[in-house]
Amino acid sequence: MGVDLESAQEIRENEGKIMAMQRELLRHIFKKAVTLRYPFKDKEKVHIPSDFRGKIAFHRDQCIGCSMCFRVCPAEVIEMIDDEKGKRPMFYLDRCTHCAQCEDVCPTKAIELTAQYESAGTDRTQMILK
Amino acid sequence: MNLEREERFVSEIKELLGDKISEIKVQRARSVFVTVKAEDYKDSIRKIVEKFGITHISTMTGADSGQTIDVMPHLSHAGMKITFKAAVPKTAAEIDTLTDMLPGAVMYEREVHDLLGVNFKGHPNLAKLVISDDWPSDVYPLRKEYKVVRPEPIRKT
Amino acid sequence: MPEFSVIVGPQHPALKEPESFTFWVDGEDVVRAEVRIGYAHRGIEKAAESRTYIQNIPLIERICGICNVAHTICYTQNVEYLYGREIPRRAEYIRTIIEELNRIHSHLLWIGIAGHEIGFDTLLMYVWRDREVVMDLIEEMTGNRVSTALMTVGGVTRDITPELATRIRKGLDILEERTKYYEKIASGESTILARTKGIGILTREEALKHCAVGPTLRASGIKSDIRADDPYAAHDEVPFDVITTDTCDLFGRVVVRVYETIEAIRQVRYCLDNLPSGPVRIRLPNTPPRGESVSRVEAPRGEDIHYVRSDGTDRPARYKVRAPTLGNLASLVEMLTSKGDYRVRVADIPIVLAGIDPCMCCMDRTSRFIEPSKGKEWVWTWNQLRKYGRMRER
Repeated sequence: MGVDLESAQEIRENEGKIMAMQRELLRHIFKKAVTLRYPFKDKEKVHIPSDFRGKIAFHRDQCIGCSMCFRVCPAEVIEMIDDEKGKRPMFYLDRCTHCAQCEDVCPTKAIELTAQYESAGTDRTQMILK
Repeated sequence: MNLEREERFVSEIKELLGDKISEIKVQRARSVFVTVKAEDYKDSIRKIVEKFGITHISTMTGADSGQTIDVMPHLSHAGMKITFKAAVPKTAAEIDTLTDMLPGAVMYEREVHDLLGVNFKGHPNLAKLVISDDWPSDVYPLRKEYKVVRPEPIRKT
Repeated sequence: MPEFSVIVGPQHPALKEPESFTFWVDGEDVVRAEVRIGYAHRGIEKAAESRTYIQNIPLIERICGICNVAHTICYTQNVEYLYGREIPRRAEYIRTIIEELNRIHSHLLWIGIAGHEIGFDTLLMYVWRDREVVMDLIEEMTGNRVSTALMTVGGVTRDITPELATRIRKGLDILEERTKYYEKIASGESTILARTKGIGILTREEALKHCAVGPTLRASGIKSDIRADDPYAAHDEVPFDVITTDTCDLFGRVVVRVYETIEAIRQVRYCLDNLPSGPVRIRLPNTPPRGESVSRVEAPRGEDIHYVRSDGTDRPARYKVRAPTLGNLASLVEMLTSKGDYRVRVADIPIVLAGIDPCMCCMDRTSRFIEPSKGKEWVWTWNQLRKYGRMRER
């Protein structure tokens, strides 16, 4: 291992003891495990802060079609389309990096990043937010 | 903003290098930019390194400026960033190495050589550092002529 | 004695990052080392030229997962220097808070990894359990555990409320108690001492000659820290000590990082106690004036330096990043070479590599395939590789 017996003896004499962590280890035998099981059995018990940057939610009635969100998105998530009320963004959520720049720049708070953290899917066409 | 220390530094550099300097300015606190010609590059840097006892080179930037490539070593001394700039023509892109007086520059010159095609005369080992071994030797990715081609998506879902 | 070479990497169980080392060994001693990097090169500097300054912020953040705060602070600072505008003082204090929380996170992660590389997995598990505390604090502050997205050109995007400040203080108390425990373990547990004392030596002269940065430099006795020499954000007002040791070996690097964590906890407390009032951002126009600028920060791994050149459009003409691990590469090769009485054993290789806290994704921004059983060697283009990957999973 790179240490011969003589120098190991020296270290033990000068400083350092073997198993310095043993007291802590013994204490933990009687404690609960730190790891949580996933999928969570009880979702309410898991603490997610309210301003977690999760899946995008879009409030259509507040959007004015200014296209600022389109201009700041780094990942080409947003495509501006027209609907009966005017211009508005459409989101390709599979490309989203959750950087929250669209939420930050929107002047009417029409875009919101919710606390939903489970957003995986198997089909990209199902992950378009209209 | 008190820029006395930087101004003193600039006048010392001016005294040392005289008319070899094309342009020198204090960009802001603790940041000085010095432009020299490619022929005077190594000599000027050697004089500054010897006078102030500089040992630390932070990095070397290469930038494509149209017809020329700017080679910019960033030196660091007592908290100040001194950036030298020398322009070499793209068609004959070569300049002297700094590795004999600043050994820390070996990796940075290899990177500028890989990505912009500048040859550093006297460098101990200009092997490829950041690009793959089979990359064609006359294609330089960071030059403006090299256009990035977006691959087509294969899966639609 | 005949020499033969051992190749470690790019994929190897001892390494966390892709890099390829070729070691020429004489028995158990390493006599020469050669390094090859570039396995995670992603072309970020080229990509930054085709995106606007605002779109570049998440791109620069993804240079590295662990040091994302250092890179984004360096980037936004750089662009703010181009405008020649100062950001509000409260924003600088918030930047310092998240930067030091990021440093605590990175150093705790490193202590765990160092324990893992010497085979002391117990330390890894305990330290990483305590790392959850700092990740929860970062999540409360920024919305995500690792990738912060707090910076913008002109300040920061979120504020700190007094309730959040109380929660952060509680978390810091827990962290301080645990870090002091790890300081006792790191300097008292004989297995750690045996595996790190006298290993990976980089003398003072060698460190200066090869331009080492960060804790690798400070463990060789050189008092150099960007936060003290070239202050940025709120570091000109927040008091702290630059930690150095003169042991020049791996043990020194462990000690420097543990004490830096404790200093970081103190700095966050000071910033929370002295947070100035005011706005957290200013609005800047899309296009900075023509010019160039250099900016440096002290990332957890060392000096991180960025250069920007603006040609008057809303996209940078050139953006250059030099992450700290590249600065330590030459010193790494020096540390891995046996000379005179100083012998490097093959078993020391993983911990010496981990000693500089390598972050290869920071350092690189294409591949060759070898199938030894069939004796084939070929090269694929990017499109061919993608097709192969997609077709296989069908």
